[in-house]
Amino acid sequence: MPARKLYFETVRVGDELPALAKSPVDRVQLARYAGASGDFNPVHVDELYARSIGMPSVYAPGMLVMGFLGQLVSDWARGAQLRKYTVKFVKIVWPGDTVVCKGRVTDRWGENGRYFAEIDLWAENQKGELVMKGSATIQMFYSLEDETRQRSGQPPIMVDVPRESLLTAVPEPAPAPQTVAAAADKKPAPARPATPAAKKPSAKAAGTKKK
Amino acid sequence: MLDRNAIGRSSPPTLNEVEKGAIRRFAEAIGDYNPIYYDEEYARASGYPTIVAPPTFPASFHSAADLRELLGVGIKSLLHAEQTFEYERPIFAGDRIFVATRVADVLERSGPAGGKMDVAVIEDEGRDEEGTVVFRARRTLVIRAQKEGA
Repeated sequence: MPARKLYFETVRVGDELPALAKSPVDRVQLARYAGASGDFNPVHVDELYARSIGMPSVYAPGMLVMGFLGQLVSDWARGAQLRKYTVKFVKIVWPGDTVVCKGRVTDRWGENGRYFAEIDLWAENQKGELVMKGSATIQMFYSLEDETRQRSGQPPIMVDVPRESLLTAVPEPAPAPQTVAAAADKKPAPARPATPAAKKPSAKAAGTKKK
Repeated sequence: MLDRNAIGRSSPPTLNEVEKGAIRRFAEAIGDYNPIYYDEEYARASGYPTIVAPPTFPASFHSAADLRELLGVGIKSLLHAEQTFEYERPIFAGDRIFVATRVADVLERSGPAGGKMDVAVIEDEGRDEEGTVVFRARRTLVIRAQKEGA
């Protein structure tokens, strides 16, 4: 029996994805990923080589960790279609590291019978350090009824839902840890535009409100 | 500084046949046991025509691109800094996808220590046999060039 599906009508800005704790990365996994991906860069599989270039050991390819975060999204957004998935590699994941993947819905909107949500994603190691951050955009049916209609060739349910980030103040999450020793990009991407503490008592109301 | 003439250089489309076994091994390597990657019946019952590939599966696709050749510099190492995928639809077992790679950009960025570093943006585009785009992938690579003299 396929798992329950995710529908737009039940998604709320601020929803947290259940954290996904992966098994500790080990060298066998690195070897398997090398074989499965076809990327045999020796820094990921050849201990002697990795040490010869000054690394303490082999380490995980960033794409493996991106795969972990992809699992988090796909597990949560069953039945949804991933439209965009983007990450920045922040910190190296070493054998023995346990990666925990987390996410939170930051936006939702609907236009022309198509319904979307945006999710902030990040992954931490066992010390709580940020190793990867990114985001995903998913597309869903509005509801089970919408899916049933479309699968039988009928037009979709049409509800205009403006981008909720424009309407609602999201409590600012604190995924960003102390040191982000990004090898590649010193300045952390600006946090999602935190609508400056608009204390609308009505901000909880569902997203069909017009501005 | 890298050769900005590299921008726009591309490789011809290369055929990738998406095999069930390859999807299974890829999902296993990630430790992702979602049955839509393994079980055809389950995938169909979930609304897909057949077994689905995980989101990062395009990382396993081959293209004819030799980055060192495309970028035209002596490269000591490439550091993967960012990755983006855009999907027009899921990728399924049995798909025949033609992947072409091009250098989208070559630029200089400020490095962590205040210095400059060279960055290349590489785009892969996957199309099906009808020529319809299935996905686009964009890699941002930090390049360490081979030292010239000092």
